[in-house]
This record gives sequence, structure tokens and C-alpha cells, in this order.
Amino acid sequence: MKVPASKLSRRKFLLAVGAGGVATAAVVAGKNPQAQPKKAEAVAGSKGYQLTEHVRKYYETTKV
Amino acid sequence: MARMKFLADAERCIECNGCVTACKQEHEIPWGVNRRRVVTLNDGVPGEKSISVACMHCSDAPCMAVCPVDCFYKTTEGVVLHDKDICIGCGYCFYACPFGAPQFPQDGAFGLRGKMDKCTFCAGGPEADHSAAEFKKYGRNRLAEGKLPACAEMCATKALLGGDADVIANIYRDRVLKRGKGSEIWGWGTAYGKPDKPAAQPGAKS
Repeated sequence: MKVPASKLSRRKFLLAVGAGGVATAAVVAGKNPQAQPKKAEAVAGSKGYQLTEHVRKYYETTKV
Repeated sequence: MARMKFLADAERCIECNGCVTACKQEHEIPWGVNRRRVVTLNDGVPGEKSISVACMHCSDAPCMAVCPVDCFYKTTEGVVLHDKDICIGCGYCFYACPFGAPQFPQDGAFGLRGKMDKCTFCAGGPEADHSAAEFKKYGRNRLAEGKLPACAEMCATKALLGGDADVIANIYRDRVLKRGKGSEIWGWGTAYGKPDKPAAQPGAKS
């Protein structure tokens, strides 16, 4: 049975789209193989608690 | 290394909500979000007790354990903080927290829930100290300024203590000794058992 030329071209088109999609996904995955979710952490060099004169005064006021 | 903790002295709290106001003012907290609140038991009954409650910066924080995107982290001083850029606003931390500390704004990027907001022990967030981004997302970073949380510093009766756990534990111990009582204080039994009940004597009939 002879297949109409229009059906053949549609099949080829769909095959081409599918193959193209797979190739694009492979390229994207290959470019970023170490993709990891961002981890929460403090910025380096951040100042934390310091026993300043202000803090010492606060501790004194709590002893009243 | 100092470990940061809050301690609420129920014998001193007068339910003035000064701590709540100080927190809101210091960090410009939006309407509907309460990083800190005062809880009163037996309200209106003589002998009622109040304590100020916020994130207690747990040593083994359940919010950190349940977060599906791992947005929490702990500073070297034991302050539990989170990254709002990672938070997805799922609310698991709210279900896990025994203090109801995580708060969810009613508007924002995630519709009705929004990204979680909570007490930071006035230690800011993962952004650079004193940056505009840090203030906008987490509020003022008082710890980096050499200060302590605004709520504790503003407390008129010094019922709410905040700072180095070793120091505030000593302050509280001195108060208990001066009062001549400890085990009657609300929460003592839960934490340390019921010492008022005499121990059962061996061979005694129950």
C-alpha cells in the first residue's frame, strides 16, 4: 500500500523534533553536571557575639 | 565559644509586651507577623504567669530537621537562622516547632503563605553584615554591632534574659537563691521533675 507523501513528512517531522529534544536535554545536563541545590550558610567574615562594654552593661542591669 | 540563649523569668514578667514592641520596631516587622509574643497562663486569675516566647534557638532544632530544602543553618554561637532565598514557605517548620516561632506573612511571593520569618536573635541573615538586603529580609544585625537582642535589652523588669547562656544561667541562679525558691517556679517541674514530692521510702506502703 502506498503511503501518502504528506503523512511521511509529518512522521519525519515528529521524529526530528523528538530527537532534537533529547539532544538538547543531553547538552544542558552535560554543561552542568554538578548542579546541586544551594546550601544555606552564613556569609564568611560575619561578626557575631562580642563581649563589648554595651553587653557588659546589659548583664549588670539584669542583676538589679 | 559563647552559646546564645533566651531565658524567660516568669516571676518577673508583667505582660507589658515591651519585648514584642521592641522587636517589631527594631526590625520593621510587617503587620500580621509576630516574631515574639507574650503568653499568659491562667490570665486574670490571681497568680497568673506570663513568659515571652519566640524562637528559642534550640540546640537540636526540629525546624532544621524537617526542612525539605535545608534552608536552616546554625551560627557558631548556636543561633538558628534561615535563608529566605532557599525557603519555599511549605510550613513544615511551623508544624515541627514547639514554640510556634515560624511566622508566615499573609502576602508575598507564595500567595497566602509567603516565606517563613522568625526571630533571628538579632543576628541578621546570610547576607553581608548591615547590608540593605540583610535588613530587608531579616532585620537589624545587632549582634554584629556588639549588642544583644532588642527584646532582652528593652525588657523593663529584665524578665527576658538573652545572651551568653553561661552568663544568663548564672544570673537566673542568683535570682533563685535570693528568692529562696526554685522548684515552685512554672516550668521547673517539667524541666527537672517534682522535687517537692518526697521520694518513696524503701519498704514504705504506697
